[in-house]
Amino acid sequence: MNLLAFAARSLRRELRHGELRTLGAALLLAVAALTAVATLGQRVEQALLASAAELLGGDLGVAARRSLDPSYAAEAQRLALRASASAEFPSVVFAADRSRLAQVLAADAAYPLRGTLRVRGADGSERDAAAPPPGSAYADHALLVALDLRVGDTLQFAGTPLRVAAEIVRQPDGGQLFTLAPRLMVALDEARARGLLGEGSRARHRLMLAGERTALARFQDWVRPRLADGAELVTVAEAQQNLRSAFERGEAFLRLAALLAALLCGIAVALAAQRYARRKIDEVALLRALGAGRHTVLATLGLVLLMLALPACLLGAAAGLGLQQAVLLWAQQLLPAAPPPPDAGPALAAIGVGLAVLIGFALPPLARLRDVPPVRVFQRHLDSAPRGFDLLYLLPPLVAVALIRSQSGSSAVASAIAGSLLGVVGLALLAGLLLLWLLRRGGSALPGALRFGLANLARRRSLSLIQVTTLALSFTALMLLAIVGPGLLDTWRRELPPDTPNHFLINLQPEQATAVATRLGALGARQLNTLPLAVGKLLAINGKAPRAEDFSDRRAAGWINGETRLSWSEALPPANRLVEGHWFGAAAATPEASVDRLWVDMFHLKLGDTLTVGVGEQRIEARITSVREVDWSSFRVNFFLLLDPASARSLPHSVLASFHLPRGHATELAALSRDYPNLSLIDVDAILDRVRDIIDRVAAAATWVLGFSLAAGVLVLLAALSVSADERRFESALLRTLGARRGQLLAAVLGEFLLLGLIAGVIAAGGAIAAGRALGSGVFRIAWTPPPAAFALAVLAAAALVTLAGWLGARRVARSSPLLVLRRE
Amino acid sequence: MQATGEPLLRANDISKTVPGPDGPLQILDGVDLAVAQGASLAIVGASGSGKTTLLGLLAGLDTPTRGEVVLAGERLGALDEEGRAALRRRLVGFVFQSFHLLPALTAEENVMLPLELDGRAEARRPARDALDAVGLAHRLHHYPHQLSGGEQQRVALARAFVNAPRLLFADEPTGNLDAHTGRAVSDLLFALNRSHGTTLVLVTHDPTLAARCDALLRLDAGRIVTAPAAAAAGA
Repeated sequence: MNLLAFAARSLRRELRHGELRTLGAALLLAVAALTAVATLGQRVEQALLASAAELLGGDLGVAARRSLDPSYAAEAQRLALRASASAEFPSVVFAADRSRLAQVLAADAAYPLRGTLRVRGADGSERDAAAPPPGSAYADHALLVALDLRVGDTLQFAGTPLRVAAEIVRQPDGGQLFTLAPRLMVALDEARARGLLGEGSRARHRLMLAGERTALARFQDWVRPRLADGAELVTVAEAQQNLRSAFERGEAFLRLAALLAALLCGIAVALAAQRYARRKIDEVALLRALGAGRHTVLATLGLVLLMLALPACLLGAAAGLGLQQAVLLWAQQLLPAAPPPPDAGPALAAIGVGLAVLIGFALPPLARLRDVPPVRVFQRHLDSAPRGFDLLYLLPPLVAVALIRSQSGSSAVASAIAGSLLGVVGLALLAGLLLLWLLRRGGSALPGALRFGLANLARRRSLSLIQVTTLALSFTALMLLAIVGPGLLDTWRRELPPDTPNHFLINLQPEQATAVATRLGALGARQLNTLPLAVGKLLAINGKAPRAEDFSDRRAAGWINGETRLSWSEALPPANRLVEGHWFGAAAATPEASVDRLWVDMFHLKLGDTLTVGVGEQRIEARITSVREVDWSSFRVNFFLLLDPASARSLPHSVLASFHLPRGHATELAALSRDYPNLSLIDVDAILDRVRDIIDRVAAAATWVLGFSLAAGVLVLLAALSVSADERRFESALLRTLGARRGQLLAAVLGEFLLLGLIAGVIAAGGAIAAGRALGSGVFRIAWTPPPAAFALAVLAAAALVTLAGWLGARRVARSSPLLVLRRE
Repeated sequence: MQATGEPLLRANDISKTVPGPDGPLQILDGVDLAVAQGASLAIVGASGSGKTTLLGLLAGLDTPTRGEVVLAGERLGALDEEGRAALRRRLVGFVFQSFHLLPALTAEENVMLPLELDGRAEARRPARDALDAVGLAHRLHHYPHQLSGGEQQRVALARAFVNAPRLLFADEPTGNLDAHTGRAVSDLLFALNRSHGTTLVLVTHDPTLAARCDALLRLDAGRIVTAPAAAAAGA
């Protein structure tokens, strides 16, 4: 027979009756949620990265301490990438009798490729600008104040007079968020002409690129093996520790929401398929009796599903794309940059995942239909022959694990989610079995209707277990999304409290520290935190001079070949956490060191190893006695290497201070700079504003993503409850026929569902709390405390929701004539 | 129609044993029978005597533990499930006690089903004719739940005869119907049987219905206690 035509007719007929509609809707929602979440996630992420690119002044760059190989620019041109060359170096700038060490940025006319250079002219008006032409310069406020200059005045730079054409308001900074001195900007040709960029200069050369993503990726692949000694890639992700940490965590959260939505839809598909398969048993038996072969039955089923799935997936993808577009239109003003147009990748991937979910979750129950014996048309009690163990039932967990693995993007997220969900399944099954045992033992003591309701739970043993497990799983996901997720985000946001240090003082001499602190205190500075800063060199690890090529981490070379900044402190500094060993004792007999975990991993260190550092003429060989985990996004002064104060105090050093000072103290700070000309003052308010902005936007985007996942959760709830709907309807009709009052029926159903919802809710709360703790410490690196009130409310809401859904279903049954219901069965 | 020549259906010493809680349970024990082309055989017996099991074995829906069933010259034991399904598709029709109409399909679509399974391009016209023949031309687009029990069984009869099977198995076809409707349905069944020249194997509790068959086989605890008259059964 023509299977295709037969399947098409079957699908058309069955769609009229809604059994497959549930499955189609589950699939549609799954793909819609996945598409919306993945596309939205990708576009928001790209918009965020674009804003980071604005901070960076380009999408990608190459930087080195020497002139860059011309082949880099040539390859960029070949790939149709826009390029801008620049160099950065310290230089002393003079004006009349004043002098100041400035950080000079020499850039070509193409600068900046991304973001804007904002300057203020002599008339006080702000405008976007390109790099200054030769003969002129831009200076930032700190430099103007230090040299007592105004826009239009002239300064001396490398023996040449330059006119200050404008004041720098804001500039993309090539990933150097913290510059150590006031800034001056000149034309690249100017610096070249003054011989400031030749051999032996201290300039850091940079070639920034911008353009199409694939071209950038090709350039990155091309340049990586060609990077000469000391040259490095400047990427958005590697640009700055603080921003990177913000992106990683934001991205992890978006992925988490998408993953849970996909898993919820998988559960919904499994439940719908289970119910569909149960309903199909009689039909399959009849078809087999009428002479349809086993393969015909299976092939027809497969074709029906495919014909349902493909349009559902396509519709879902379209709906998902529409939804995310609507969200972006609504939230456009929240995004720092216009998001790129959506590409088909996430939608196609979502369709692929949707089909995998369908096959993975729907195949096991449907495949069992092939074993329905045709003789069942005479003997309805004959179900398919029981199998001890069906390999197919491994499929859903395998698909779930593959989903978790592929969508989480991090093994820490994957193991936190998989572990907690697995725990929830185990607990739900255990609790379910225990409850059923208790009901069998003590259920007869309960009043009539309630006894009947709870006896139902015990009698439909496997259905009850399926319901408790799936309800617990979906409530876990919902609690993760509704309570844990926002809680984690909130904790993360609160990590940057309003009084986060917003100024850094560098190069403060130890004898000036007290006086400066007093003046800052008088200005109203809070959170003043000072640490000594010594600049030295890492000479040996365990007595052996380290070689960069011995370490796979490319960052190691920077510390081995360059300078190492270190400090010392009596107490563990804020934003540091001791993860191994012990903090320095009162008076150590031999020098002790504490290192950040990054160093431990990078240099393969362990407690007891020795590090030899040279500062000036002095050498210190210190034993590692502790390992710290530093929160680099805390905007505090932090060091990879700390020494014990007793051993390090005599090292030549300056003092570094961080503090919070409300805005509006520019004049007083300028005066401080003038009185202590050796000081470098960094205002990080602008940087902090941007970081806070980004965190807020990630949080806003994540809230939208959560909405989709919640819809998926509701679908699972309905699907889970419909699992036993057929039996329940029949039994209710039977009871009504036997004379049960409507109130008795409702009491039976309410008792059953209330218990079901309560158990699922309690287990889900446990699972969500465990997952939240694991995610907090393992992924978001924040200490998250579960809010007891919110979880208690969630458990009650879960019980209420399940009871309400049960009541709505029972009401329908109780209203209809028992005779009609019986005839329908 | 009189029986002639080689029987259409033959069972040789068939037995069926299933596992039970206290060891193997013998449901059928050494049943022999033969039904000639065009004849009708009633299988009667108390509940649990093995009637339905025998019907399932004769129709190739299940396989005997011992013995052999030959249907239209084909030894069912030599065929796999796919082969038996193909044979059923070509030669066999069914009528069930509980009708077994698919609730999701209309009366017309239910009747079209055997033709569609057999790959017939045109199924609608014969289905309408078959429904017309059972007096339900006005109920084509009704769903099973919108039909009375008698109407449902008439749809089932239309479905059973629509592809002109050589052999019809009926399992208590009037068991779920009142006496009046049951009589009407059985009249229809025998009328169709005659007009199509179909061989009929019928399981029933109803002595009146059994009496209308050419031969009668009584089962008790899985054994034949009254064998069909040789002439009527054609053996």
